[in-house]
Amino acid sequence: MSAATAVLRRFKFSREVVLLGVLIVLMFVMSLLSPLFFTVGNLLNTSRFFVEVGLMALGMTLIIITGGIDLSVGSNVALVSVAVGFTYAAGLPLPLAIVFGLVVGLAAGLFNGLFITLLDLHPLVVTLGTFALFQGLAYGLSNAQAVSDFPDWFAYFGQAYFLNVVPGQLFIFILAVVVVWLILSRTRFGRYVYAIGNNEEAAHFSGVPVRRVKLALYSGIGLLVGMAAVIYTSRVYTARGDSGLGLELDVISAVVLGGASIYGGSGTIGGTVLGVLIIATLRNGLVLAGVPSTWQVFVLGVLLLVAVFLNEFFRRREE
Amino acid sequence: MSEVQAPTPTEGGTTIGTGLRRWLVRPEAPALVFLAVLLVAFSLSSDKFLSGSNLESILVSVAVLGTIALAVNQVILCGEIDISTGSMMGLCAVAAGAVATSTGGLILPLLTGVAVGALAGAVNGLLATLGRIPSIIVTLGMLYALRGVILLVTGGSWITGIPDETRVLGTGSVLGIEYPVFVLLILFVVMELVSRHSTWGRNVFAVGGNRRASRLAGLPIDRVRFTAFVLVGVFVGIASIIYLGRAGSVQTNTGTGLELQVVAAVVIGGTSISGGRGSTLAALTGAVLIGVILNGLILLGVPGIWQDAVLGALILLAVATDVLRRRLLGDKS
Amino acid sequence: MYRSAWGVKIVRVALLMALVLVAASCGVGQQPSQGGSGGGGPKKICMMPKLVGIPYFNASEKGAEEAAKDLGVELVYDGPTEAKAALQSQMIEQYIQQQCGAITVAANDPDALAPAMKKADEAGIATGAWDADVAKDARDVFVNQATFDAIGKELVDVMAEQTGGKGEFLVVTGSLTAPNQVAWLKAMREHMKSEYPDMSIASVEPGEEDLQLSLDITKNYLRANPDTAGVFGITSVSLPGAAEAVEQEGLEDDVAVTGLGVPSDMKPYVNSGAVDKFVLWNPVDLGYLAVHVANAQIEGNLPKSGTFKAGRLGKVELLAEDEVLLCPPLVFTEKNIGEYDF
Repeated sequence: MSAATAVLRRFKFSREVVLLGVLIVLMFVMSLLSPLFFTVGNLLNTSRFFVEVGLMALGMTLIIITGGIDLSVGSNVALVSVAVGFTYAAGLPLPLAIVFGLVVGLAAGLFNGLFITLLDLHPLVVTLGTFALFQGLAYGLSNAQAVSDFPDWFAYFGQAYFLNVVPGQLFIFILAVVVVWLILSRTRFGRYVYAIGNNEEAAHFSGVPVRRVKLALYSGIGLLVGMAAVIYTSRVYTARGDSGLGLELDVISAVVLGGASIYGGSGTIGGTVLGVLIIATLRNGLVLAGVPSTWQVFVLGVLLLVAVFLNEFFRRREE
Repeated sequence: MSEVQAPTPTEGGTTIGTGLRRWLVRPEAPALVFLAVLLVAFSLSSDKFLSGSNLESILVSVAVLGTIALAVNQVILCGEIDISTGSMMGLCAVAAGAVATSTGGLILPLLTGVAVGALAGAVNGLLATLGRIPSIIVTLGMLYALRGVILLVTGGSWITGIPDETRVLGTGSVLGIEYPVFVLLILFVVMELVSRHSTWGRNVFAVGGNRRASRLAGLPIDRVRFTAFVLVGVFVGIASIIYLGRAGSVQTNTGTGLELQVVAAVVIGGTSISGGRGSTLAALTGAVLIGVILNGLILLGVPGIWQDAVLGALILLAVATDVLRRRLLGDKS
Repeated sequence: MYRSAWGVKIVRVALLMALVLVAASCGVGQQPSQGGSGGGGPKKICMMPKLVGIPYFNASEKGAEEAAKDLGVELVYDGPTEAKAALQSQMIEQYIQQQCGAITVAANDPDALAPAMKKADEAGIATGAWDADVAKDARDVFVNQATFDAIGKELVDVMAEQTGGKGEFLVVTGSLTAPNQVAWLKAMREHMKSEYPDMSIASVEPGEEDLQLSLDITKNYLRANPDTAGVFGITSVSLPGAAEAVEQEGLEDDVAVTGLGVPSDMKPYVNSGAVDKFVLWNPVDLGYLAVHVANAQIEGNLPKSGTFKAGRLGKVELLAEDEVLLCPPLVFTEKNIGEYDF
């Protein structure tokens, strides 16, 4: 197995180098299209946006490696946002409301996990259902209203600056990246994840606790969603039932762009992080270049298709 | 309500017993039972429910949904999925609407809508078969890409002033039945015949039921799947003319959210998401069920903002019921 | 094998870059008023509607572009594709990076946009709102199309005319948090209480600026509540939706429909009789005025009271130190609807 793993390791390494190259070229192109792009202020401002997508993409990477998917993350953000805001408005002290929100995110992920593992259901249809369910609950429970009068310190999560320049949530993101990377590449759990993705039946027969791993993955992304939602709510300073809509496209695109195969079995945290950066750069660069928002929707859709196509095309050629 | 005898070719593994058990094993059974229960419950709690006009309006409101569901049903049956239908419908409506406002008539806009739909479906099909991209990703990307195309093509403006002659399929009636219902029922019959009696239709079940076996048996898997995607486009085109008739104008966000309702209808009606098991009746039942539920909720005074939550809960309930039912009946597949 | 691996990588990068370049370069041409100089070039005014893609905001864009051309300033007019405050907030942050001289926004939610607007203010950008206000401390000036009272009063008066001053009514609004819609509702209720005590608003439903949704809401409501005397559609999207619903149900003679609408959309309904009269102001002029005000903010010569000269609109009134008024609301009927081209 060692020769194959050596090739595999070089294979993974080379993909990340390519992505880094793509990112650098992309930033160069964007700075050509608008001189405002390559300023420290702009780059750091962009990082605010991608922390939320990035946190969720970390969890999504592991799920996609196992061959699953979670379409409900965007709606889960809305649910957590409403949970935090409206319990606070109802009288709960804000710190407790935040913890409650994290619990709600975790519980929602657990709900997905239970449906998928206990009933052996396809994650696609389960998360499609919860995509609608969570969104509907968020919208209905908030009665299409919003909560905005948070105390000043709440802005800390989403709007703070360290040393007046670096956005605060960047540190949370870096910490999360390190933790998830360690889990995936240095623990037995991480190897279980890859094993399930490569061949679930074989993994099961080798003693991998498939059900428990999956349960942990879907709950884990629920927790990450909770964190992202709190940061998001703090950044826009409002809890609304339509928060986080459409984020699942960015999250899945980032993971797929980062080299994870949608069929499962491969993917790295490094690749995902680069994928997140590329998408954030693209979104930000397009706006600065004066591209109307109507074009951005189109570009992202096409990007997702091209990214997956290239991934699979080259993967098959290299096999 | 419809034919009961013809056993579906896909009930592998079940010990088919007598009468009731045979009926319960049919994929549409839970949905039909649920539908009957709801009809009774709603008519008891609101006297406005069981009026002829209300029932007919339910069918009219799900005509667009049902038409598209009939075709997406085939895609799901062969083991794929299509969540781009909302944006596809918007694009077809824009194309058909543009033609209608410049040349009028019914046939030309209809053909335009169908052509645009078929083209979009073909792109889906090509990317999924030759491109080897999983259909969930293909149609997710297309959902956004096509929405972008709509925004670009319309420049943000609406298309208004659809001439009355184009709106016939949405507002007229024939033999006392409103056109949308009429079209839906005709398409249902056509689809049922194609699904059960054409080579392609039976191949769809085979490919969805066991792709490896189908490949070994020499079935043209890629062509089967490609045709399913194109068919969705055709049906979406037809549905867009019905929509034009009913709404009278096209917005830039026309069709948003429709894709979820379509998949919900198919799945709730009893077609299995893993492919190979289901029927055309399931798609129709699911669409009607959704229409009944949404209508009933409004009559009961439930605020509209809860609709999505109900829809999501129904999808989960449907798939869970399907699994539990099969386990209870000893179906090991 | 090593060489082909590199070849593969290069092709991959090239393809991805080609895609990005094609997409970006296609898009760059779309904004004709976006120059490349950024820093020391002409003044840049960044204007944001609630959403793009509806005739009302397309009309204001026309007026805004007209004013920008007259004044010789650069205009960036863009908004989210859905009426969502969170998307607007994000765009405002990006506008800040684009070094706009002034940012003016039509808000979907007054408080959600406040942090972003305050940040713009701290960056030295002139802040303003138009059509729908943000929180008062988050902007320097608000361009209001007509006082909330005047709009509410006119709407109720028009409806009272058609229903004999009594009955229960449905209101289809855009979103339950849009500040202008909230203010109009309040004015409507007050006016009903004082002038028409037999009129009351039975229900308020959000149509989310979606035509089909507004249509379905109206239809379902009228079926469930057949005694409804009339429907108010208080956005340019919900009014045609409500009118279409009434027409399809055949209730033109039984249910009165009025509200705020754009003449070009409402012509078929006025002709068919579903709607007798409806109310608006001139959105082209509103966009025009908003750009003039923003320009005056940048130049520092916006007066604090009295009147303000705004190009072809002549003298425009300042209601307060921070509020500019466009005009009294217009009532459109069968007779005058042909005179307008928006």
